[in-house]
Amino acid sequence: MRNRHHCILALSLALAGCAVDPVPNEQLRLSEQALVQARAVGATEQVAEMRLAEQQLARAQKNMAEQDYKRARVLAEQAELDARLAESRVLTAKSQAQLVELQARITRLRKQLGDLQ
Amino acid sequence: MNRPALCLSSLCAVVMLLAGCADQQRSESALEAARVSFYKVKEAPEVLRNSPKDVLRAGESLARADRYAGYWGSSEDVIHYAYLSQRYSDIASESSQLLVNQAHIAKLEGERQRLQQALRDAKLLSVQQQGQAQDEQMVSLTRNQGERGLVMTLGDVLFEPAQASLNASANRTVLKLVQFLQLNPRRIVRIEGYTDNQGNQPSNLALSRERAQEVANVLEDLGVNKQRLQVVGYGEAYPLAENASQRGRAQNRRVEIVFSDDQGQLSPAR
Repeated sequence: MRNRHHCILALSLALAGCAVDPVPNEQLRLSEQALVQARAVGATEQVAEMRLAEQQLARAQKNMAEQDYKRARVLAEQAELDARLAESRVLTAKSQAQLVELQARITRLRKQLGDLQ
Repeated sequence: MNRPALCLSSLCAVVMLLAGCADQQRSESALEAARVSFYKVKEAPEVLRNSPKDVLRAGESLARADRYAGYWGSSEDVIHYAYLSQRYSDIASESSQLLVNQAHIAKLEGERQRLQQALRDAKLLSVQQQGQAQDEQMVSLTRNQGERGLVMTLGDVLFEPAQASLNASANRTVLKLVQFLQLNPRRIVRIEGYTDNQGNQPSNLALSRERAQEVANVLEDLGVNKQRLQVVGYGEAYPLAENASQRGRAQNRRVEIVFSDDQGQLSPAR
């Protein structure tokens, strides 16, 4: 009898735990947006963080469907920052490449000017 | 409680305790890693100046992870906020690097424009010093080749023998070309390299491409946008004359510049 009481107590506590977590619709929207933006600057699956972002978001969406809102929020938050990091890495790599090319062109120009003089 | 049940429950307790320990170890190392990353960006004045918001968020998330670390059974939360903090630190240093690069690019871009102008002036000067007559014959005039459109041929004499680089006698032609492209901003060009049939095919193909690329580089250096320049090497294909005579071979060694119409429509490549 006491055992049964315990069970009911535990069950209601667990349910209460679930009920406290709000549905993280806004967070999922933010995360999806971050992924879209990262893709827009050219982040592909080649970027490790982007792969991670996609996996985390997919898992978050699965958890949403299962109404495991806490886990969904946690994963979505991680996916958002994964995507933002992927975006940053791609942009920085691009600027790095641009820098290298510019330096090569300047070297070439200097050489040509030297040849003419 | 009977004995098997007691055993079972104590076993459960031990497993849970061990699992708890493992969790705690995991969360502690995550926390430590996040802390190290955060101090690194916090101590870098450049990062702090360039991406203060992300550094701030890294600090906030770290503080949250720290707070959770004080409670039992919240290692999941500790790991989560440590993860976020780590990400914010990485984003901060990455986007700071981007700003540093952009500033550097802006500076070099100014330098490049200055050099470009200097090169244009220098080439103009050297052309003025040169006699006019001598290089007129080196450039076959631009002809209309029907389907291919307007084509200009740069003869072999404009290049260093068997090398890709252009010599000083090419300056006039190149300047004319740049001027033409500046006056016709919608036109684009395809720069095609050709060789004679001496030597082996792969090296001819490479030389023809390198010469075409060299012309493109020089045009770019003089201020023509790279997007307007296509480069192809055809090697010994499409000869203009017989390769039997020296004269014929010299004619075949050339770079052709195919112009698009004034709408930027280029004839298809060969």
